[in-house]
This record gives sequence, structure tokens and C-alpha cells, in this order.
Amino acid sequence: MRFSDILGADVATESGHTLGRVHDLRADRTARTLKITGLVVGTAGLFERLGIGAPVWGPRIRTRDVVPWSAVVRADSRRIVVRDDAAERR
Amino acid sequence: MRKVFQIALGILAAIGGFVDIGDLVFNVEAGATLGYQLLWVIVVGVVGIIVYSEMCGRVAAVSNRPVFDAIRERLGFGVGFGALVASQIVNLMTLAAEVGGVALALELLSGLPYRVLIALGVAALAVVIWVAPFEWIERIFGYGGLALLVFAVAAIKLHPDWGAVATGLVPHGTSSDKLVYAYFTVGLLGAAMTPYEVYFYSSGVVEEGWTPKDLGLNRANAIIGYSLGGTLSLALMIGAAALYQPLGVEPAFIGTVALGAQVPLGTIGLLLTLVGILFAVGGAAIDTCFSGAYNMAQFFGWEWGKQRRPAGAPRFTLAWIVLLALALLVIMTGVDPVLVTEYAVIFSVVALPLTYIPILLVANDRAYMGRYVNGRAANAFGLLYLVVILLVSITAIPLMIVTHQGQG
Amino acid sequence: MSARETLDLGLGLLDHQLVDCEGRRCGNVDDLELEGFQDGEPRVAAILVGPPVWRGRGRLGRLAALITPGGTVRVPWAEVEKIDGAVHLRKTARELRLGRGDDRARKWVEWIPGS
Repeated sequence: MRFSDILGADVATESGHTLGRVHDLRADRTARTLKITGLVVGTAGLFERLGIGAPVWGPRIRTRDVVPWSAVVRADSRRIVVRDDAAERR
Repeated sequence: MRKVFQIALGILAAIGGFVDIGDLVFNVEAGATLGYQLLWVIVVGVVGIIVYSEMCGRVAAVSNRPVFDAIRERLGFGVGFGALVASQIVNLMTLAAEVGGVALALELLSGLPYRVLIALGVAALAVVIWVAPFEWIERIFGYGGLALLVFAVAAIKLHPDWGAVATGLVPHGTSSDKLVYAYFTVGLLGAAMTPYEVYFYSSGVVEEGWTPKDLGLNRANAIIGYSLGGTLSLALMIGAAALYQPLGVEPAFIGTVALGAQVPLGTIGLLLTLVGILFAVGGAAIDTCFSGAYNMAQFFGWEWGKQRRPAGAPRFTLAWIVLLALALLVIMTGVDPVLVTEYAVIFSVVALPLTYIPILLVANDRAYMGRYVNGRAANAFGLLYLVVILLVSITAIPLMIVTHQGQG
Repeated sequence: MSARETLDLGLGLLDHQLVDCEGRRCGNVDDLELEGFQDGEPRVAAILVGPPVWRGRGRLGRLAALITPGGTVRVPWAEVEKIDGAVHLRKTARELRLGRGDDRARKWVEWIPGS
């Protein structure tokens, strides 16, 4: 699977509650590998996709959240399902 | 002492390099049509280009990324490609207009046929780019462009209505045709805030290896150079207003621009103006040509830069050669360079948000900029000009159509 | 003992400049090949570079891929040396088969004196 495939995929909890879309993947770099450790989820708005997470002229809106990859139940290029308790952290 | 000298030289080159064919055409036409009323727009435009290029210079010096690197990284491949195509179309139109302007100036100076001079002019530009080091190019064309200062002298000698000049420097409405007024406002802003200048500048910053330490110098150079260059634009409009507006003359030819200096100053005035036009527009042609090549190379990740030598950056080299050749073809068709200039300026205004917005975003991004991120002042100006640019971008084409390019 | 680096793939890797061990610019990160989703150890397997890769980057990406010649180059992640603003690679562009567009274009330019 390519990164471009997974970008924009829907993210939902096991019980079907939609969290948003994949904005990015967080990763940790070790000696020889780059391991994916988190899922950056956000809304599908234009501003969010441009990476305007905290506009300087407005209140600090938290439009992006990182869900640790350990909370992911399944992932394919169209949809990522996370555990229900991942939603509670928002 | 040497540093002061260097700074002064840089500023001189910036003044002479400020005026390009868009400024020549729009400032003179605006002066002839509306007199002194739009002088304030030049001031707004100069502040705008200072804000824009300071941000681009800072982004380039701090993050080591010129404009199109930042655009692709921040907005992604799709939007970046759209911005690239749009900017290349505008670059080509601008370059064609400048090549035409060079040929016209040469024709008036030499009497040789126009079409021959297009080819000669392009060949000369290509040779200069190939052979001369970067700094020499900026110096030669910058100092040569200073000859346009004769226009400032001419403007004073024409005894303009200084009261009207003062009023014109303050933003105000108009009793004449409001749509024509609006069209020229848009055109003047577009002529002042030329994107190719910003691409060129930011690429130069990266090529020269500027670091945050150079930022103070960068800012001073930009502010002083552009401000003084802006007075040349003011002189163009004042001269045109004093000479042409009372006569109701529409200077449709570049030659008529030079007349503005000949009337009060005689043959010397005419010659110096033509030489000034030749160097200012020729220098602008080189900047535009390089900008096109920089944009392509940076977007696609090719090797780029004059320092790499042509064989070290082959696709980059081919890009500017092809751009120059295409401009040659366009202007050889006999299309009026003044008309091409007007279209180029209007279209560049329409495309301006595509390259301004990403820079504003990147300049605010701490991950790229660290502590050199936009402060409150930079953001106040940055956002103010974002509004101005969006307004101007949306209204440009409708105004151009409705006013028949300012003819009313 | 190397420090652990955390980065976001989209913001910090995708579309960034590739630079080889000699400092030569040799393309951008056009896409990333991911693997390990089945075994629960998702990771970046390789960097993907080249016009065909743009097909995954939206409608304009597909258009650009259509009009641009060139093949796909796969750079295994192990070849990455360092990441700052750009992605620095351990080997030369030639060894990694990158920057071939420039190599091909060179013959058009090098015959001119002064190149």
C-alpha cells in the first residue's frame, strides 16, 4: 500500500462512529527503519488539509489528533477502524 | 566601509532593476488616463512587494527552501502542479512582453528592423546568461536601468501640478469612470507585485547560501531598494500625467514613453530613457527566464542554479533556453508587446494567490521557520496583503473585459 | 547511539527534496511504499520517485504522469542517511538510479562551449 493511498481514508471506531479522515501518519525513526506509530486524524475541511491547525488569527482550534497505532483494529486504503476507546481521548 | 559600499551597490542594482515592462506600460497609461490620481496605488504596491519578498527571502534563508519547494511541500503535488502551470504561462507571457520591449528599444536606438532585433536581442540575452556570472548580470542590468532616473528629472522639469501629486499620494475615490479607475488600480498592483521577481529572489537566496544571519541585510536591501525603485514608478506616472493627460494622448507605443523625457530634456533625455528601458527590461527578461527554470526544477526536484554550471544542471539549463525560445516565437508573430504586457500583468495578478498563500503558510510554520516565524507585524501586513491580493485577483479579468483594458 | 526521531510522513517526508551523498539534488519524494499492516508492524519500506508515481497524487497528478516520460525508481528506506529539510541518501544518485533525467539531458547541453 502506498502512503498516497491511505491519505484521506475514512477513520471510524469499531462501533461505527466517524472520527474523520487520515491527514498524516506519525512515525518513529530508528537505525534502519521508519515505524509508523500514530494516525493523524482530522476533519475533511480545506484549511485542515492545508495544515492550518492553529490559525494565528483565531482561537487555537484542535483540528488534528494523533491516535496511537496500537488502537488500530484494521487498516486498508479506504477505511481505518480504531478501537472505541481511542475516540474517548478526543 | 566596504560593507556599506556593498550594500549601496546592491541597492543601486535593485533600483535599476525594479522597473520592468509592466511598470512602464501601466504607470504611463495610468498617468495619461487618470493623471495623478493613482500615485497612492504605487505606494501600496511597493509595500506589497516588500512584504512578499521579505517573507520569501526569510523562508528561503531559514528553511533553505525557495518558493516552489515550499509550495509543493505545503500544498501537495496536485495544487503545486496547478500553481506551476499557471506561473509558467504567466512567465512566458511576461518574458515575451519583455523580449518585445527590448526589441522595440533597440529599434528606436538603432533603426534596424524590429524582427531582426527580436532575434538579436534574444541571442544577446542568451549569451549574457550563459557567459556572465550572476552578480555581473545583476550589476550590469541594474546600473543600466538607473538611466531611467532621467525620467524623474524630466518629470520635475515638466512642472507637474505638485498639489495634485500630493493629493494623488493619498488613497481616495474618483469622480471619473470608477471602473477604469479600478482596472488601473488592479493593473498597477500587478505590475508592482511581480511574482517572477520573488521566485528569482528566493532562489538567489538559497543559491548564495544565505542564513538567518543575513536576514537583517535582506530586509534592509529589500525595503530601501524597492522603495527607491518605487520612486521611479512614481516618476513615470507623474511624467505621463504632466505630459500626456492634458493632451488626451494614450501612449500606445514604447517610443511614446521615451518622448516623455525628450520633451523637456531633448535628445539626451530620449537616449538615456531608451538605454534605461533597454537595460531595465532586458534585466527583467533574464530574471523572468530564470524564474521559469527555477520553478520547474524546484517543483520536480531537478538540480538547479547558475552555480552548478550548465552541464551540472542540464534540465534546468534546457528549461530557460526553451522558455526564451518560446518567448521569441510568441513575439515573432508580430503581436503587439504592449498588448502582451497588459495581458501578462492581469494574468499574473489572477495567479498571485496561488503562490502567495503557501508562502504565508510556510512563514507561519514553526517546523520550517523555528523562531524566525512571522511575528505580529509580519502577519498583520501579510494578512492585509492577502486580502488585497484576493480582491485584486478576483476582479482583474472582469475589469479588464468591462473596461476594454482601460479604454473605458 | 542514535536519537529517536519522530516525524510526520506527509509534512516531513512527502514531496521533500532528495539529495545524494555528494550533495546532488536527485528528485523529490513522490510517494512512500508502506508495508507491515498485516503483521501489525507498519513501516515505510521505500521511497518512490518518478512520473508514474504521480498517478496516485490526485487528478492533476494523473495528468502530469500522462505527459511526462520516465520510470519509477524505488529507493529502499535503508538508503536514507539523514532527514532535515531534505532527505539525504547514503549513496550517489547514479548508484540509486536517480537523477537519470539530468543524465539524459546532459548530452544536449555539454557540447556548447562554456558548459
